[in-house]
Amino acid sequence: TAMHFIFSNEVVLLFDFWSVHSPAGMALSVLVVLFLAVLYESIKVGKAKLLYWAVVSMSIPASQLTEETDQDSSGSDSPPVSTTRLRWLFCHFGQSVIHVLQVVIGYFMMLAVMSYNTWIFFGVILGSAVGYYLAYPLLSMV
Amino acid sequence: VDHSHHKGTSHMAYNSTTVPSHHHPTTSASHSHGEGMHNMMMHMTFYFGFKNVELLFSGLVINTAGEMAGAFVAVFLLAMFYEGLKIARESLLRKSQVSIRYNSMPVPGPNGTILMETHKTVGQQMLSFPHLLQTVLHIIQVVISYFLMLIFMTYNGYLCIAVAAGAGTGYFLFSWKKAVVVDITEHCH
Repeated sequence: TAMHFIFSNEVVLLFDFWSVHSPAGMALSVLVVLFLAVLYESIKVGKAKLLYWAVVSMSIPASQLTEETDQDSSGSDSPPVSTTRLRWLFCHFGQSVIHVLQVVIGYFMMLAVMSYNTWIFFGVILGSAVGYYLAYPLLSMV
Repeated sequence: VDHSHHKGTSHMAYNSTTVPSHHHPTTSASHSHGEGMHNMMMHMTFYFGFKNVELLFSGLVINTAGEMAGAFVAVFLLAMFYEGLKIARESLLRKSQVSIRYNSMPVPGPNGTILMETHKTVGQQMLSFPHLLQTVLHIIQVVISYFLMLIFMTYNGYLCIAVAAGAGTGYFLFSWKKAVVVDITEHCH
């Protein structure tokens, strides 16, 4: 069967319980999908900013983190290597969790578009536009 | 096509492919009708199950819990490999960008003075081995990303979790060094 975009107030999105039958329900679903798309764009920017702040706030010389045996480094003013590496581990674990969120939300948006409902598609596109517009300028700001 | 009926008909399709004996004329129409119903058996919402799960290729069907466990591991590793490939390509690109050309040209300044504007161009030669390797890796990356998309499109909860967990684990393992070595130098621009 050939699939094509349709305008409809009925759709089932992602989960069995997300079943829409009315214009009000469709409007709400479009808003949710729009918010999801905004969140997706924001997460992409947020991940980069978090990394930048983590590096800056910990003021770690690059050599201290990439060298395994770094016992007599010039780190007399910086915190002990072990706690710094632990903080870096937590930070990177947090980044990975955010990455999983980004991957999952990205796939959810793809599946929402796959419903071939035009209202939902508009919601995804508009949300991506709004999210990109609001979030990406923050990348170049310090 | 009204999708709200799908979750109801998917179970009916199971029963209709094992054709009841009273509806068994020798015309080909009924057979093609059965085939059509079978193809419409796509899930449109998330579900957890391991019976009759078709994965990417015809003939690759999961029917037992053991097979689902194997598929979970395979999909997990595929998603992890995808993240690693992305990181590997980035570092390969950085290493092979040898030809840095500086072009300086005079441009008119604000008060009628002459300023020197310097352009820095970083690039790869087209017929070089690094660029050919990058192209091959790019195709592999595109194919794997489409496979992961199609796997997620099965709406099977176990497989989707495998994709997400594999991506997270791959990102955690492969971005570890990269995040430290590369991003710090990039922020020094």
